[in-house]
Amino acid sequence: MKTKTLFLMMTSLSLFAFVPHTMGQLTGSQIMEKVYNNPAGEDTQGSMTMTLTNNRGEQRIRTLSQFIKDDGATEKKIMFFITPADVKNTSFMNWSYSDGRSDDQWIYLPALKRTKRISSDGKNDYFMGSDFTYDDLGDRHPDMDDHKLLREETVEGRACYVVESTPRDGDYMYSKTVTWVMKDNFLGLKREFYDDRNTLLKTLSIQKFDKVDGFWTILETKMHNVQKDHTTVIKFTDVQKNKGIPDSRFTERSMTLGN
Amino acid sequence: MKFIRPLLILIFSTLAFTAGAQENISISGFVRNYTGLLTNEEKDWAILQNTINIVLEQKNEKVAFKVNPYLYHYFDNDFEFGLREAYIDLNFNNFNLRAGKQQIIWGKAEGVFITDIVSPKDLSEFLLRDFEEIRMGVTSLKAGYYYGNSTLEVVWVPVFTPTRMPEESSIWAPELPFPVTPTYDYSTSEVRKSLDNSELFIRFSSMGSKADFEIVGGYFWRDDPALHLTRIIDPVSMQLTGLTARPEYHRMMMTGMSFSMPFGPVIIRGEGSYNSGRYFQTEAQTAPDATIEKDYLYYMAGVDYTLAGIRLSMQYIQEYITNYETGILNDQFETTMTFLARKDFLRERLWLEFFAYAGITHRDALIRPRISYSLADGFDIQAGANIFTGTEGHFGQYNENDMIYMKLKYSF
Repeated sequence: MKTKTLFLMMTSLSLFAFVPHTMGQLTGSQIMEKVYNNPAGEDTQGSMTMTLTNNRGEQRIRTLSQFIKDDGATEKKIMFFITPADVKNTSFMNWSYSDGRSDDQWIYLPALKRTKRISSDGKNDYFMGSDFTYDDLGDRHPDMDDHKLLREETVEGRACYVVESTPRDGDYMYSKTVTWVMKDNFLGLKREFYDDRNTLLKTLSIQKFDKVDGFWTILETKMHNVQKDHTTVIKFTDVQKNKGIPDSRFTERSMTLGN
Repeated sequence: MKFIRPLLILIFSTLAFTAGAQENISISGFVRNYTGLLTNEEKDWAILQNTINIVLEQKNEKVAFKVNPYLYHYFDNDFEFGLREAYIDLNFNNFNLRAGKQQIIWGKAEGVFITDIVSPKDLSEFLLRDFEEIRMGVTSLKAGYYYGNSTLEVVWVPVFTPTRMPEESSIWAPELPFPVTPTYDYSTSEVRKSLDNSELFIRFSSMGSKADFEIVGGYFWRDDPALHLTRIIDPVSMQLTGLTARPEYHRMMMTGMSFSMPFGPVIIRGEGSYNSGRYFQTEAQTAPDATIEKDYLYYMAGVDYTLAGIRLSMQYIQEYITNYETGILNDQFETTMTFLARKDFLRERLWLEFFAYAGITHRDALIRPRISYSLADGFDIQAGANIFTGTEGHFGQYNENDMIYMKLKYSF
């Protein structure tokens, strides 16, 4: 995996320097491939605070910690819920596979003292009442959509590609998404989600990003459901990369022991 | 004497909170008001209960502890205080030792107890308490060895704890299948607290991409006593004039397994056990004390599915007595099904749930619709009903106990 990551990093870096001058325009698919393959490190850990704000300005806050490890074939993620109090010590684990298999998911409910396998079919469900679906929080493989480069434009002083992605699966919850990808680091800066009537549903914007342990990392992001005027802001804190999270972190024992 | 326990709790809680402030001990729990009304003609209160449940925890790299005291306060100023759990953990790299009172939950079935045999049950309100309150902690030593995603657990329970049954005056006291009211002989109703009478359980479990499974075994005491009967017959009329019931607990052995696996968008669950050493009531005249020892199988097949955001779950459960003999009061096959439908609205603020046990053998059921609304983070209001149908069986025997209820719960 180290070799692969190093390869990706080296490839990406050389492409950043080389592509715009010699290959001309990238296609929409190439751009989204670069976004997907942006090196993220072999593992990531940190805390996450979600602030949900409704159209009356009322706020609800959820905090959790998460650990992610990717060996190239399998990405394992485990989340430990901290607040609100009624979900404290609940944990959620997801294994997703690069070969396209359905994810495996488990939830540990401390009241029942039982780890339960759950269906990963609920990717359209909203995560903890937020404006993010489980699918929004994951890495959607670019092969699942057709991509078209619409234009290039500058947003908030940053040169961006604007790419429209249309799902190949007609049953997908969005009819299309439009993504603003920063040219210099291939991070998505902004994304619009359109519902099944092709009407703007949600807008995702990156509020803060930085290099953490050598990797471009999103540190604050905001999702606004424009139809319901409901907003979710996610802040990532104490983010650490490549600290060597052991495999034992992603086990039933870990789920029951908690953070 | 009546006030000693609450006083102890107050002192304990004060000390605990003080300790929490000083030693960075995590404190959580809930406070709850629970009001239930029978819907019979008398409109009796089924329950008026206030609860405080406190969880004190501290976790270090190698050592952790948890103490979970609870207090139920009833309308007649009766108090019930207990420790749901109180244990110490010693954690090593691939090994864990937990000593103390602990709830141990095994198996994949929901709402039924097939291989889930370690923690005894509190059935003082039948099956209506929340599941975390139905499971009683059991004082035990649990050793766990962890290898990858597999776990081997051995549990030693030095002292047997039986099922907690409702008091005789309770509306949840089960019907007894006797033609006359028996007198009780409690001379054999205690299991002596000795090393020889301890219990042993073992479980191997594994979690993986294709499936999760558990293999379990146990050598233990059955949590419910067998009632050995002595019939008093009038020598002239040859009619039954009296009964003496002698409750006695018996040793059992169980082996079983459970699994859970994805099949497309569906989760399939299964669980089964083979049990030996249970005594069943019988009317056969060849059984002098009206009991007979039989082995039995207990198994479940279930599916979980999400449709249009509604979580659906169904289980088919069956008990089968092997080498069945005429006269045994239980049916050879006893079949139950469970159904669950659950959906959230308003961004997980409002929950609607329908859960039902359906007794196929006795055509009885327990139907439990409920609605829950989160007024604020951690503060829920819940309203629901417990509806019993049928005239016999596990659920039908309570057909006069239909109730509606409301719970206010604040989690902290």
